[in-house]
Amino acid sequence: MKNILRALRTERGWSQAELADRLDVSRQSVNAIETGKYDPSLPLAFSIARLFGRGIEDIFDDGLDTATAAE
Amino acid sequence: MATLGFRTANKRYKRLFWPMMALYVALILTAKWLVDEDTTPLWIRAGFAVATTAPLVAAIWAILRQARETDEYTRARQMRALAEAGAIVACGAFLVGFLQIFAVIGTIEVFWFGPAYFIAFGLSYYRNCMGPTV
Repeated sequence: MKNILRALRTERGWSQAELADRLDVSRQSVNAIETGKYDPSLPLAFSIARLFGRGIEDIFDDGLDTATAAE
Repeated sequence: MATLGFRTANKRYKRLFWPMMALYVALILTAKWLVDEDTTPLWIRAGFAVATTAPLVAAIWAILRQARETDEYTRARQMRALAEAGAIVACGAFLVGFLQIFAVIGTIEVFWFGPAYFIAFGLSYYRNCMGPTV
């Protein structure tokens, strides 16, 4: 799943370790999510969205548009 | 599942794992110094065997507890490494077992499957750090 986590993080000047600290996950978790190797669970996705004051769908993109998903 | 987060789970893991490893080493050294296969009574030898196993059981429990309590990605990596290590050691046990049954090799102490499991777990965990993730 694509996401803009790296952009949001660097916008705030945080390192991966700082973001990991704020989310209480390992730095490797942040790296895996940023590089798209790991898709976070819904609770973690909500935590990330809350931390950046955005909606989940603003940060994560599953590549399907709403019209396609509704079919 | 009682997830505590990466930091707390890590702290709790270290607080139990390392003292247990230190106790294990101390017990091994004490046993090496005190126990003589021929002269030490059976009950003392049995006592040392159980006492030496206890900290290892605690250490394994610490690993499983950390996997339960840590963040989801670390947990997934740990569970994968535990499963891979189990599969590797099971394959090794079958191979060694058949080599013994067909009289290709002599007796190998079952004990060595324990360290083999930890080594396989460590290698698998760090391989997962570098390669494709879950």
